[in-house]
Amino acid sequence: MNFQIPDELQYAASHEWVDRRDEVVRIGITDFAQDELGDIVFVELPAEGDTVDRDEAFGLVESIKAISDVYAPVAGTVVEINTAVREQPELINEHPFEDGWLIELEPTGEFDHLLEPAEYRAQL
Amino acid sequence: MNGNTTLTTRETTDEKQTGTPFAPQTDEDVAAMLEAIGVSDVDELFDIPDAVRFDESFDIDAGSEQTVVRELTETLERNDAPIEFLGRGHYAHHVPSLVDHISLRSEFITSYTQYQPEITQGFLQVLFEYQSLLVELTGLEIANCSMYDAATALGEAATLADRVRETTGDRILVPDYIRAERRDVLENYVAGADLVVEELPADDGVTTPEILEEAIDDDVVMTYLESPTTDGVLEEHLEEIGEIVSAHDGMFCLGTDPVALALLRSPADVGVDVVVGDASVLGMGPSYGMGLGLFACREAYLRQVPGRLVGASRDDDGNRAFTLTLQTREQHIRRERATSNICTNQAWVALRAAIHAASLGPSGLVSLAKRCHRLAEQTASRLEEIEGVSAPVRDRHHFREFRARVDDANAVATAIEANGFAIHVVDEETVQICVSDRNEHRIDELVDAFTEVVN
Amino acid sequence: MQRHTQAIWNDDDSEGYEPLLSERNLETVEVDDTDLPDHLTRDSLKLPELSEPELARHYTRLSQMNYGIDSGPYPLGSCTMKYNPKFTEDIASLPSAAVHPDRDEASVQGTLQIYHELQDYLARIGGMDAVTLQPPAGAAGEFAGILIAQAYHEDNGEGEQRSEVIVPTSAHGTNFASAALAGYDVVELPEDDDGRVDLEALSAAAGDSTAALMLTNPNTLGLFERNIEEIATIVHDAGGLMYYDGANLNALLGRARPGDMGFDIMHYNVHKTFATPHGGGGPGAGPVGVSEQLESFLPNPQVRERDGEYELFEPERSIGKVHGAMGNWLVLLKAHAYISRLGGDGLRDASAKAVLNANYLASQIDLKIPFEPFHHEFVASAGDRDAADFAKRMLDYGVHPPTTKWPENVPEALMTEPTEAESKTSLDQLAEAFGAVAADEPSALEDAPKATSAKRIDQTSAAREPQLSWHQLESR
Repeated sequence: MNFQIPDELQYAASHEWVDRRDEVVRIGITDFAQDELGDIVFVELPAEGDTVDRDEAFGLVESIKAISDVYAPVAGTVVEINTAVREQPELINEHPFEDGWLIELEPTGEFDHLLEPAEYRAQL
Repeated sequence: MNGNTTLTTRETTDEKQTGTPFAPQTDEDVAAMLEAIGVSDVDELFDIPDAVRFDESFDIDAGSEQTVVRELTETLERNDAPIEFLGRGHYAHHVPSLVDHISLRSEFITSYTQYQPEITQGFLQVLFEYQSLLVELTGLEIANCSMYDAATALGEAATLADRVRETTGDRILVPDYIRAERRDVLENYVAGADLVVEELPADDGVTTPEILEEAIDDDVVMTYLESPTTDGVLEEHLEEIGEIVSAHDGMFCLGTDPVALALLRSPADVGVDVVVGDASVLGMGPSYGMGLGLFACREAYLRQVPGRLVGASRDDDGNRAFTLTLQTREQHIRRERATSNICTNQAWVALRAAIHAASLGPSGLVSLAKRCHRLAEQTASRLEEIEGVSAPVRDRHHFREFRARVDDANAVATAIEANGFAIHVVDEETVQICVSDRNEHRIDELVDAFTEVVN
Repeated sequence: MQRHTQAIWNDDDSEGYEPLLSERNLETVEVDDTDLPDHLTRDSLKLPELSEPELARHYTRLSQMNYGIDSGPYPLGSCTMKYNPKFTEDIASLPSAAVHPDRDEASVQGTLQIYHELQDYLARIGGMDAVTLQPPAGAAGEFAGILIAQAYHEDNGEGEQRSEVIVPTSAHGTNFASAALAGYDVVELPEDDDGRVDLEALSAAAGDSTAALMLTNPNTLGLFERNIEEIATIVHDAGGLMYYDGANLNALLGRARPGDMGFDIMHYNVHKTFATPHGGGGPGAGPVGVSEQLESFLPNPQVRERDGEYELFEPERSIGKVHGAMGNWLVLLKAHAYISRLGGDGLRDASAKAVLNANYLASQIDLKIPFEPFHHEFVASAGDRDAADFAKRMLDYGVHPPTTKWPENVPEALMTEPTEAESKTSLDQLAEAFGAVAADEPSALEDAPKATSAKRIDQTSAAREPQLSWHQLESR
């Protein structure tokens, strides 16, 4: 299978992507992850203002036959959640790196451990 | 058969039966099958270490169908056959003949859970209709397609309350009139979540807002009441109670049943969040407590509901079709994080309840419910006229049953039983009597028996 | 090949199939004319109102849109869909069986005698010292059993310390959920390459915090846990208890007993092992057997005999109750009838033929079966096919498909359990269905089923926009 792994993003081994923006990082699940799950039917996201530790489960993505925790690739405070995916979970299947993003964090920790695209590709 | 020492072929007469009569293989089949597998004896197919092999006999005799039916019929005849005026949380009404004839159709009763919805549309649709019936009766948006019984449904409601509550708390309030068995089951369900069950006193059988205010605080995760109560009394202040529970961010759970609900104000209207109870009051005769756990709740809890849910969808041709849905809540997917451990439920009892309800229709259901109220109050009044009997003990509204005070409850119940009637003994001076369409035609005799026994 | 056909009924209003009752005639009935205060009663009730002939036809049509064991082969692995003898229904329908749970012990001696006899039968069959019939289903049995283990450890002053239950990865989901419901942390135990318990992993997992190991044997791959004695020793040496999940007991009747394997607690699935009908999802019953040291923890009440009279009693250190009454009495009655009909030899024969049937069917199927030797069920792999699609296509060949995509140690799993009730002819029909699907074009599988009255049902939209009542259908 040929999964999208955009060059400009960084990744976690647990199949989340991280987009480092100015003040915040945007987080979602990868193309591989959405494909593994199949049609996503439900998303559970944290509240704005929640703090998450690195590798802590901050949300949940459900398909018909499976559920998957979503882990925070970096520690931080939740500043925004993508409410659109609550109403339309299919956005995650259709555009995992764009409209299907999940949360934005104000990071409080390190980034060094994140995988570069090539490293992530190698683990698939 | 060469070398086959362990397989027994079906015999045509029961006297010779030593194997199972419910396996169709002939001698020739067995020989051909063993040959195809490449073994000479079925024993070779068992990979059991010698040390744990069982070489003895269970010492259980086989019997022909005729013999087993006769023997079990004889054993069951050791049960006395009094006219039961019994209730206290376990009720039965006359079950229309249609229920047996339809529910025993083998397409229904011999099917499994609907994991292949394309060939189980029939059962799924009945369960969908059952869910819809409960939605109408409770006013709540979601009803599942069954728990085991009222007690386990209550246990599930408490764990649901614990899961959905955003603030901490560890208290569950239950009324003091609750059946001890239900409370025991509840205690087991909530022990794992470290919740504590506490009792609310009642005022002459009814819970008042004052009683609740006294007991409740922000640590109360769930408040449970019943209407009708185990004593047969209708609660009178549910709306105010719902407001109090809600003000403390608690869940309000009501125990009731589908017949009573045909008459009573819709639970959702009075602020109830979850309705539990025994729905086998429709569809089943007395079954020694085998029940049908009713479970309905607000849509807000949808993703946390225990048990199976049937939903409507479309098939590839665009036709409406039904399927089990939201299965990721369940144990086979979510395992230790499932909303419940339930797998096998009471689907067939739900099917029976649905058929019974449909047979009655809304007019029949309402009229049955009215009768349950009227009969209880009328019968209590008649007993009240007997010297030495005071009924009802509670100066409240009754449904199906009521308590009566006598001098010696045990003596009265024993003497009544000798007349062919079974009633409850609640304590030394109190009996309880449940009347419905099943025993209505014997009420005159019951009253006569009371008159005779007490005087 | 004979195809399963379903009644299809169309009318212009119904979009196909049998309409909902609510689409036939919904009536609103006013609730008035009672002496109850208005604030206690509802104003009206809106439900379907139809005549008995109309209802008889509605439900009969629906039954024709449903596949049961009597319709054809039903080889759902782990579910044990065997033939349900009809005579047991006659016994369960006897008026003398219809008793209220609060009846005096003295007036329900027949019912109590049957409970007592069934307790005894099950104890003998499982090699246990005492049995409760209270749990209303297998999962409820697991919960009761784990509560018993918990009470035992508490009694030994180790309740707090023993906070973990070990469960193999391939176990039934209920094991995990039942242990969690009782408040335990679940420790997942990986299988070894042979598909059995990994002894080293077990030794590492078992310790001072172990309350119990929950194990299915034969396991969900159909394999007997050959090292069962060592497994029991490891768990017992760590101070834990051995729990037997009885889902696959039907493979071993009369050949091996959990009690002899070192299990302290077990549950029985009466619809699997003792042929009570599954009823489209239930009711079942999940009796629990225990060894002597755990007898006093059994649920309240138990039934005992004294001089030919039967009575209820509360075991000394009882865990309390797991059901509001005495469990699913009418189901237990049917299980008693089945055991009485077959006797010990018949039960042993049922297991032998179940194992024979599974092995024969496997020999006729050209799919990879990675784990052997299996007993009453095998897990084949659909290979590069999607197991769920494979199953849907089997519907087109007139049979119920196996359990799919589980256990996960077989890729694209087809977990197949024909039971003893299938004739060689119907096993050949099943094998033919497997073969035909394996030979079909991939598109035929993806588009399946085509021969059923309902075609492939959209699970995704059902879950994204749940419509769970006719009220919601109307409003959305």
